[in-house]
Amino acid sequence: MPITTTVVGSYPKPPNEGDTFRVRKTLHALEKGTVSVDDLHQAQDELARQVISEQEEAGIDLVTDGHVRWDDILTPFARNIAGFEIGGLLRWFDNNVYYRRPVCVGDLDWRGPSSTDAFRFATSVASKDVKAVIPGPVTFARLSVDEHYGDHDAFVRAIARVLAQEAFELEAAGARYIQIDEPALLNAPEDLALAREALGMVTSELTSAEVTLGTYFADAKRLGTEIFHLPVHTIALDLVSGPENRELIKSFPGDLKLQAGIVDARNTKLEDTGELQATIEELAGNVGPERLRVAPSAGLEFLPREKARAKLHRLGEAARKVGA
Amino acid sequence: MAEVNLPGPGLWTTSVGSFPKPDYLIAARGRFARKEIDREELTELEKQATREWIEFQDSIGTDLVVDGEMYRGDMVAYFAEELPGLEIGGLVRSYGNRYYRKPIATGPIGREQPITVDWWRYAQSLTDAPVKGMLTGPYTICDWSFNEHYASRRDFVLDLAKVIRDEALDLERAGARYIQIDEPAASTRMDELDLVSEAMAIVTEPLTAHTITHICYGDFHNAYPKMLEIPVDQIDLEFANSEYSLLDEFSDDPFTKHIGLGISDVHTHELEPVEDMVEGVRRALKHIPPERIFVDPDCGLKTRTVDEAKEKLSNIKKAVDVVRAEL
Repeated sequence: MPITTTVVGSYPKPPNEGDTFRVRKTLHALEKGTVSVDDLHQAQDELARQVISEQEEAGIDLVTDGHVRWDDILTPFARNIAGFEIGGLLRWFDNNVYYRRPVCVGDLDWRGPSSTDAFRFATSVASKDVKAVIPGPVTFARLSVDEHYGDHDAFVRAIARVLAQEAFELEAAGARYIQIDEPALLNAPEDLALAREALGMVTSELTSAEVTLGTYFADAKRLGTEIFHLPVHTIALDLVSGPENRELIKSFPGDLKLQAGIVDARNTKLEDTGELQATIEELAGNVGPERLRVAPSAGLEFLPREKARAKLHRLGEAARKVGA
Repeated sequence: MAEVNLPGPGLWTTSVGSFPKPDYLIAARGRFARKEIDREELTELEKQATREWIEFQDSIGTDLVVDGEMYRGDMVAYFAEELPGLEIGGLVRSYGNRYYRKPIATGPIGREQPITVDWWRYAQSLTDAPVKGMLTGPYTICDWSFNEHYASRRDFVLDLAKVIRDEALDLERAGARYIQIDEPAASTRMDELDLVSEAMAIVTEPLTAHTITHICYGDFHNAYPKMLEIPVDQIDLEFANSEYSLLDEFSDDPFTKHIGLGISDVHTHELEPVEDMVEGVRRALKHIPPERIFVDPDCGLKTRTVDEAKEKLSNIKKAVDVVRAEL
């Protein structure tokens, strides 16, 4: 039984050492007004193509476009939602990476899809299945500033309504796998019931896509086994930053799939393939090989390109050995 | 606690550390990277730019001067390049279209020779105002590096603390009376604030200079008042980009140290009006007496243009003069 492999989402944008950093150069040139937005899109298309083929070469079964067009998972959506403005820089969880905080200043309204063009491009160049990734409503709300609704639950529901339309459009564009990222939920157990309701709203228009709840950077200890009762098909857990998730997995229910983050996406030290293999075997024993998908612990953009690539190769190799 | 020995009633003006590099220096750094000019030629231009920034600070009457870090790229990589045990790694993104080479700890960290002392001496030779010694703190160097060597973050941080302590002692021996040990990462993980303090104690314990740390981008509302335990004389914080919301915390838990009061947002091209800055300083005075306040931009100014940085610094000085006249 082969163990399937995937990624969490982002991939390093810098080129492999020695190559031209075309996306960065084009963004600089765009600021100066010497190139057009089309030039930027071409550079991003080229990078998405490379990033997808690197994942495929490493043996990743379910790929993403590496979020090569995004600075973070919130602003590409916030820019396209009426009622949001883009605010100041804030630290992205406990990383030395910063995102611009969306600021809600009016009723939120969907102004059309934010991610379907990128998804369609990715599927057109990929030979494997492509996973679409969107931010979850609780994380979106918690990492934004609400100057309008004045009520956290109402704010989360308003975001969920908009994201439901995005999810619907992604499925219509052919997405069979949609991951909804909720890293902020791990530290917000008080939002669990709200998350259940809001995730239900986001997925309400979907008919067949497999939905993954994406979590990373920490363990789900504060949510406990309740995290297994959210309206999704797959739960992604980070076993590197959250080693205590291994304890939680012992109570994993039989009707859920596990996306296990077992390769450290935030440190360069390369994992030993044999140890990865042992981890995968243990997890397959816990949840059953057909319900297990293995991945890095988080988006790979925290690593230099070569390290990300090397880690994916080891992940792919370990998963193949277990399946052999 | 070292006394502050500066003229006037307080509200002393200073800077957090970095200034933008002039175009000729940016070009020269590119040429140096492509091996078109040698180290000596680059150093001459770094000295020229340093001289220009010191002259500018003197011209507006800055009380506590910085060298502007014309010879540094990234604040962590600069030290990593000099310290055995740290290697410079590949590019990773910090935000937007900005990237840095993130260091990797590959062995035990040591220090072969002073890193910043010659530059400090040079800068001090150019002005009668005191020049700050500028170091990156052990916790931040650890937090902004990969670790392939140490078994724990604590081991990594404490080894770095000894190295930074030795550098600080060398600065003090050279004559530095104000030494800043930046810990912008200190507010990242509330459960590691004790480690920040433990490491800072190693650095500051043997010093007699006035010690400062700069902290930014953080979860201040959770980090305060615990951050007051960090063993330094002054904590420098950003106020402008959060519309001075942190001051509210000081009503319940008084700020007990000297403060570095950031009154200009460094991540916007917009130049704050002097009146807004004046209002910010007045608000701070309700919580902290003037003899414990230094006034500066929120953070290093290196991402602004030279002109924007000068305008922001000039406005800060104008605002301080307005409030000083009211004391």
